[in-house]
Amino acid sequence: MNITVCAKQIPDPANEITYDNGLISRPEEQVLDDTDRYGIEIALQLKEKYEGEVTVISMGPAGTQKGLQQALQMGADKTLYVDDDSLKGSNSLMTASILSELAKTTDADIVIFGTESTDGYTGTVPQQVARFLKLDCISYIKAIEISENVTLTRQTLEGSEKVIMPEKCVLSVTAGGVEPRYPNFKDIMAAKQKPIEKVELSSLNMNASQNLEFLDIEKLENSKNGEKIIDEGEAYQVVIEKLKELKVI
Amino acid sequence: MKTLILGEVIDNKLSSGTLEIINKANSLSLEYKVVTVGSSDAPVIGSSTFHQTYIKRSAESLQFNNVADKLSQIIQEENISLVLAPSTYQCRDLVSFLSVDLLSSPVSNVINFDIQDDSVVTTNSINGGESIYKTKITSSCSLLLIRPKSFDPIDLELNNEYETIEVENSAIEIFDVFKEEKSGPQLEDSKIVISAGRGMVEKENLSLVEDLANKLNAAIGGTRAIVDAGWMPYSQQVGQTGKTVKPDVYIACGISGATQHQVGMKDSKFIIAINKDEEAPIFQLADLGIVGDTLSVIPKINENI
Repeated sequence: MNITVCAKQIPDPANEITYDNGLISRPEEQVLDDTDRYGIEIALQLKEKYEGEVTVISMGPAGTQKGLQQALQMGADKTLYVDDDSLKGSNSLMTASILSELAKTTDADIVIFGTESTDGYTGTVPQQVARFLKLDCISYIKAIEISENVTLTRQTLEGSEKVIMPEKCVLSVTAGGVEPRYPNFKDIMAAKQKPIEKVELSSLNMNASQNLEFLDIEKLENSKNGEKIIDEGEAYQVVIEKLKELKVI
Repeated sequence: MKTLILGEVIDNKLSSGTLEIINKANSLSLEYKVVTVGSSDAPVIGSSTFHQTYIKRSAESLQFNNVADKLSQIIQEENISLVLAPSTYQCRDLVSFLSVDLLSSPVSNVINFDIQDDSVVTTNSINGGESIYKTKITSSCSLLLIRPKSFDPIDLELNNEYETIEVENSAIEIFDVFKEEKSGPQLEDSKIVISAGRGMVEKENLSLVEDLANKLNAAIGGTRAIVDAGWMPYSQQVGQTGKTVKPDVYIACGISGATQHQVGMKDSKFIIAINKDEEAPIFQLADLGIVGDTLSVIPKINENI
């Protein structure tokens, strides 16, 4: 089974996100989006059952490749990435077009994504890739059970439902669905020997174009300067008084 | 601008997200029809004020590709140039599929939009609601995924009159459909919401929040961290990937206030936060902040109400 899993390098979420002309400023060193760890974990579990190869695909400024290394440290076999200045500011459809072309080069049976990236949060790329590849998309997976078949539990508006994973499809995995593994020292060393290959944009077909024009960005002032009280045992009274004032009680 | 509103069914009626979008479409005097996708047999979704088409999908087959084919056909045949959809699981799948068919990238997390010189201009919330971002859409068909609670829902008299289209099943069968039980006041409509976070330390302590909720007739919510930890069902998650709430009073118990949580509650009218960590970001949003141990403050509130 060829398993392809998409991983995104994002600015370290511990730091404040900054924007330059409507685009997220990306430092040289970016990290693996935590959301992708869940997809990688599922890819590795599928590999353990069915054998085959786990290929990570990625698009965006490669920089120090730290995030790509982190994906390999978890146990993926190799990485293919596209990094081209002309892709800067790509909309979700352009991103999905490139990722689906990359997935084609891996001859993937199963293509796996997190449901949405932590920095962009558009949450549409997995489904768009599925449509480009003309595959079924099993989205919002919150649990996986591997026995004779692979049973996937999908999150739905009102609860959940289950499906059997078909031979070829695209999966999107919610955070919390599985427990991503932590690499040990040996895994970290082994990852250094694994191939990270750059794919030239010119070798891929771009089947989408820019239709979203950036107009303006504005940081909201969220700070309310509300009343702040250090509890020394009696602060509950302030809460109760406030609830009375608000006519809650 | 010829518009298609993609509707959704909840409890056999049009979802509040759909009603919010209809209200906004009316305020912009858009020429629209509604196409609603659902699996119930005879939902009450028709209206004398707009044309409704019901695409009935099977609850036993994952057939969103087939639904999207049908939607694409309607959009192309009727020269639709604007598609408005609530940002839900189902609509995110469908709008993403449509975006490939129509070669038009959608805008996600839209909180407002307008028509300027025949173009759609969107305002969307980014970075967990810390910033707002304005975009002009230049493709011939614009696709918008709209965050819940961005507009007030319209009050409509609904009926059973609409056209129904059925779609073919796919090869993927759905089984073990599970509906989370709903009890007590519902998060989306409750005037008072009490939410719990990691600061509650362990699941058993949620009984403190439940006691308070009972006394205040409040709905209970939680952060993603505690939903992921299995303390609460997903339907109670407040935040970016969960529900958006705008109650009169929001009480955050042991919640640090990551941006992903803030986006789901920051428009609440009055926010009370109780947290040990004086530096917790939740205090920036709070109208009243109590720096203290949630586990000692809440029992005292409960005893004294």
